[in-house]
Amino acid sequence: MSGGGHPRPARRRILVGAAGLAAAAGLGGLAAFRAAAASAGLTLRTRAGLAFGTTVALTAAGGDAARLEAALTDGFAAMRAVEVAASLFRPDSALSRLNRDGALDAPDPHLVVLLRFALALAAETGGAFDPTVQPLWPVWAAAAARGARPAAGVLHAVLGRIGWRRVRLEPDRITLEPGTALTLNAVIQGYAADRVMAAFRGHGIEDAFVDTGEFGASGAHPDGSPWRLGLADPRDPATLAAVIAPFTGFAATSGDYNMRFSDDRADHHIFDPATGYSPGALSSVTVTAPTGLLADGLSTACMVLGRERGARLVAGHAGAAVRFTDKA
Amino acid sequence: MRFSGTRDAATEPPSPLCGERENASRKNGRAGSSLPLYLTLLLAILFHTLPAQAGQLGRAGLEKHFPPPLVVGEKDDTLPVWPILKQQAGSYEVFAYAFESVDLAPIPGFGGTPPDLLVALAPDGTFRDVKVISQHEPVFLEGLGPEPLIAFVEQYAGLSARQAIRVGRPNARAGGAAPQTTVDGISMATASTRVINQSILASALTVARGKLGFGATNVGLKVEAKPDLYERLSLPDLLARGWVRRLTVTGATAATAFKGTGVEDRVDGPPDTVLTDLYVAYLDAPSIGRNLLGEARFDALMRELGPGNHAVMVLSAGPEDAPANPIGERFVLGAVPDRLAVSQGGLIVTARDMAVERRDAGLAEGLPPGNWTILRIDQAAGFDPSAPWTLTETIVRERGQILSEKIARTFPVETALPADLFTRIKPDAGPSWTDPWRARAPELGLIGLALAVLVPVLARQRGLVADGPRFAAFRLGFLTLTLGFIGWFAQAQLSIVTLVGLVRAAATTHDLAFLLYDPPSLVLWAFALAALVVWGRGTFCGWLCPFGALQEFVALVARPLRIRQVAVPPGLDRVLRQAKYGVLAGILLAAAAGSPLADSFSEIEPFKTAVTLYFVRSWPFVAYATGLLVLNLVVYKGFCRYLCPLGASLALLGRVRILDWIPRRAECGTPCQLCKVRCRYGAIAPSGRIDYPECFQCMDCVTIIHDPGQCVPQVLAHKRGRRSAPHPVGAA
Repeated sequence: MSGGGHPRPARRRILVGAAGLAAAAGLGGLAAFRAAAASAGLTLRTRAGLAFGTTVALTAAGGDAARLEAALTDGFAAMRAVEVAASLFRPDSALSRLNRDGALDAPDPHLVVLLRFALALAAETGGAFDPTVQPLWPVWAAAAARGARPAAGVLHAVLGRIGWRRVRLEPDRITLEPGTALTLNAVIQGYAADRVMAAFRGHGIEDAFVDTGEFGASGAHPDGSPWRLGLADPRDPATLAAVIAPFTGFAATSGDYNMRFSDDRADHHIFDPATGYSPGALSSVTVTAPTGLLADGLSTACMVLGRERGARLVAGHAGAAVRFTDKA
Repeated sequence: MRFSGTRDAATEPPSPLCGERENASRKNGRAGSSLPLYLTLLLAILFHTLPAQAGQLGRAGLEKHFPPPLVVGEKDDTLPVWPILKQQAGSYEVFAYAFESVDLAPIPGFGGTPPDLLVALAPDGTFRDVKVISQHEPVFLEGLGPEPLIAFVEQYAGLSARQAIRVGRPNARAGGAAPQTTVDGISMATASTRVINQSILASALTVARGKLGFGATNVGLKVEAKPDLYERLSLPDLLARGWVRRLTVTGATAATAFKGTGVEDRVDGPPDTVLTDLYVAYLDAPSIGRNLLGEARFDALMRELGPGNHAVMVLSAGPEDAPANPIGERFVLGAVPDRLAVSQGGLIVTARDMAVERRDAGLAEGLPPGNWTILRIDQAAGFDPSAPWTLTETIVRERGQILSEKIARTFPVETALPADLFTRIKPDAGPSWTDPWRARAPELGLIGLALAVLVPVLARQRGLVADGPRFAAFRLGFLTLTLGFIGWFAQAQLSIVTLVGLVRAAATTHDLAFLLYDPPSLVLWAFALAALVVWGRGTFCGWLCPFGALQEFVALVARPLRIRQVAVPPGLDRVLRQAKYGVLAGILLAAAAGSPLADSFSEIEPFKTAVTLYFVRSWPFVAYATGLLVLNLVVYKGFCRYLCPLGASLALLGRVRILDWIPRRAECGTPCQLCKVRCRYGAIAPSGRIDYPECFQCMDCVTIIHDPGQCVPQVLAHKRGRRSAPHPVGAA
C-alpha cells in the first residue's frame, strides 16, 4: 500500500519508459515521422510539466494543431483539478485539509471518487490495500533521516491508527477517526490519466499517449504504428525489461525503487498495512486495466499481496492483466 | 542587445483596474492649460493605483530562450514558474525552473520601474542562466548602454542561490573576492547593479522555498566564534559540557542498525567490541580549539582557515585497522571524506579535509591517540555552528561474494554549542542604502558647504548681492562649482527622470527606496524643495542646475561675438511659457499609465547628454543639446523658460512659496521699468511685480535696487535730496 505522504525527498525515478514516438525518437526517426505525418495531414503535440511531485507529459495527435493545443491545456487543467482535490504535495488540497481537520464537508467530487474506489479495494483485498497508511510515512521518514528503522514499539503504536474502516464516507461529508490520515498517492496518478483522457475525448482527440506518472494511451501513433510502452528494469532504469505493444488503455507500475528508505530497497514507500514494514517479495508490479484508477490501485495491492494472491485479485477484474518482477 | 518578448494574453491576469485606467485617460483629455488644474491632475496621478507589473514572456517567449532539446513545461499553477525539462530515456527530468524576477520580486530600479530578469534555477539551486528581459535603468538605457548589464548578469550562471551573492567592485573577482559569492560590479552603475542583484536573489529564493525546499534560512548568514572568549578546559570538561562529542559504535549497535540485511554479524568478539570511537569538535571556538590543539597550532590553523570559515575536527580513537574506521588507510587527504559528513537542518554541508601537516601534530595533552582530520567548511556554505549540527559516520558492509551489494548504515552524533560562543551577523536584507552615503560623504560635504554659503548670500541682500562686481564674480564662481562639481563630477543633475520614478513608484511599486541610492541628488532635491517653499523655484534653476549654469557660461560669449538676443513677442512668449507644463503633463501621464514612452519623452531634457554623459553620445542627442545651447545665445535660457519639465514641476510646486522676498519699491513699474527691461528671464511684469514661477533668482534686479547709481528712483531721489527705501511688495 503506497504511503508516500509528503513531498518525496527524492525525485521519482523512471519507472516506465514511454515508447511510441515520445521515447524512441532519435533524430532520424523524428524526421521520418514528420514526413509520414505531414503526408497524412496529422500533427503531434506533446506538452510536459510537473504534477504529483514528478514530471508528466501529455501527447495528442490529430489534424488540427489549435485543437490539440486546447486539448493539452485542458489535460493539464484536469490534472490540476485532481491535484487540488487529493494531492498531499499541496498543503491546501481537499485531502490535506481532511487529514488536518479530521473531517471535511462537501468534499471535492474527485476526492469522493478516489476515496470510494480506495475503500472498495480495501474491502476487496481484506485490507492489503489501505488508504489509511499515511501515519506510517512520517515515522519512516524521520527514522530514515537518522539512518535507522523505526523502533518496533513506535510502529506498533502507529498501526493502531491504521484501518480503512476508520474512514466514513458520506455523500456530503468525510470523517476520520482520531489519529487517522489518508493517502491516495497509490491511485491519484492513474485517476489523473483517466481524467486527462476524458478531457482529450471532449476535444475529439482519438490518438493520445498520456504519462501522469502512470500511463494511458488510445488510438495509435499518427505514423500508423501502435503506441508502445516500455517497462524499465527496476534495477537498471536505463534498460527496457519489456515492451507492451500495441498499448492502449491504462498501465500502472508499483515498485520498490521509486522512493526508498534503505539502499538495499528493503524499505520503501509501499507499506504492508498489517505490519508497518514494506512487503518483501516483489520488486515491481505492472498492471494494465481499462481505467488508470483500477490499474494503479491493483498494482499497489499486488505489491502487498504478492504474486499468487495478486494474480487472483487481478483475474477478478475484466480487462486487467499483471506482470510481476521478483526481488533480485 | 535587447531581448524581445511576446505578450501572452492567456497568461495575463485579468486587470480589475482597467476601468480606472480609462478614467485616467479621460482626465488627460480634459486637461486644459490652467495651472491649478495641472496641480490637481498631478496629485490625482500620484494617488492613482494601476495593476502591478507582470512578466511578459509567454510559452513562445520562453521557448526562444530554452530551445530544443529543452522543453518548456506547463506553467506552474501555484507560482509563476515554468519548468524547463529535458527528455531522457522516455521520461523527463527537470533541467531548470524558469521565472521572471518581476513576477516574484518587483524591486524598483533607479528609474522607478522594476527590472525584469529571466532566471533559470537548476533543481540543486544553481543558476543556469540569467537574462535581461526589460530594464529602465537610465545608466543602461543610454549612458553605458545595455551591454555591460548583459555581461553583468552572465556572471550568475554556475553560482548557487544557496549563498548570498554580493556585488563587488569592478574586477572584484580578479582581485581575489570569493568567486562563489561575488559578482563584479560596474562603475557608475552601483545602485542599478545592486537592485538587479537583489531582484535575482529575492526571486530565486522565493522559487527555492516553493520548489526546492531551501531558502528559508541561513543564506548569507555569518556566524563566527568570538576569538577572545577563552576558558581553560580539559577534554573531560569539554565532553561533560557537550562541546566535544563522542560517537562510539559497538558491535551491538551496528548489529541493530544492520538488522535484517544479512550482514549484521560481521564482528568477532563480544557485542561491546568497539568498532569506531570518534571525537567530534568544532575548533573555531578558542575554548574548544585552543584547548584541544594547543595555542601555537590553534593560531596557525585559524590563520590558514581564514575569517568566517569553520573547522571541525574528527579524531578516531577506535581500532585503527577496523574496516569501520572512517579515518583509516583509505582516507584521502584533502578530499571530502566519503564516510564522514557534516549536516545541518537535513542538508549536507560540504566539509573538506584541510590536509593539515600530520607530523609533530602537537595536540594538547589529554586527547587520545588516533588518526584525525580537520574538516574545513566554507563560510558560503551557510553553516551555523551556533545551531545544532550533525556529524554522520557511514559504515558500509558488502553482501554477497560475486555480485556484491553494498549496504550502508549511518550513525549520527549531534553537537549543540551555546549561542554565546558566537557572534551572529544576519545576512543583508537587501542592498544597503547606507553604503553610498558613506562612500560619497566627501561629495556630500562639499555640496553641503556650497549650500551653506549660498543661503546667507541670497538672504542677506544688502551684503554681497548689493556689491555688483563682487557678486558677479561670486555668481560665476558658484556656477562653475555647480557645473563642474555638482554636475559633471558628482553626477547630481536633478532631472525629471526622478519625478517619473516617483510617479511609477506611486502608481505601481509603492517603493521609494531607489531615491536613497543617490545621496547627492537626494540632498539637492531636499534643498530644492525647501528653497521652493521659502523662495520659489529659482534657487534651484538659477543656482544649482548644472545645465542652467552651462547655458549661462555659453551666453557669456554672446556679447563679444556681437550676437544679439531675439525679442520674443509678448504674446508668443506667454504661450511658449505654458509649453513646459504641457511637456510635464505628457511625461507624468505616460509614467502613470505605465508607458515606457515616459522614458522617451524625458529625453526632451538635454541633461543626460550634456551633464551625465559629457556629450559623449549618439549624434542626434548631441545635436539637440548643442542646439539648445545655441538657441540660448539668441533666446536666453530658452529651454529653461519654455521647455524644461523639471522647471515646470518646480514652478507648479513653488506656488506654495511663503516669501515675496525680492525687494521692490513703490516706484517699480510705475513709472520705473528699468528692472523689467534688464531682467533676462522676463520675470518682471510691466507692473513691477515679480513673476516668481519664472524668476531664476539671478539677483540682477536686487543688485540694481540696492545701487544708488543704477536704481532710477534712487537716482531721482538723490537729485531731490531725499532717500528712498526699497521694500518687498506682494507679488500678486
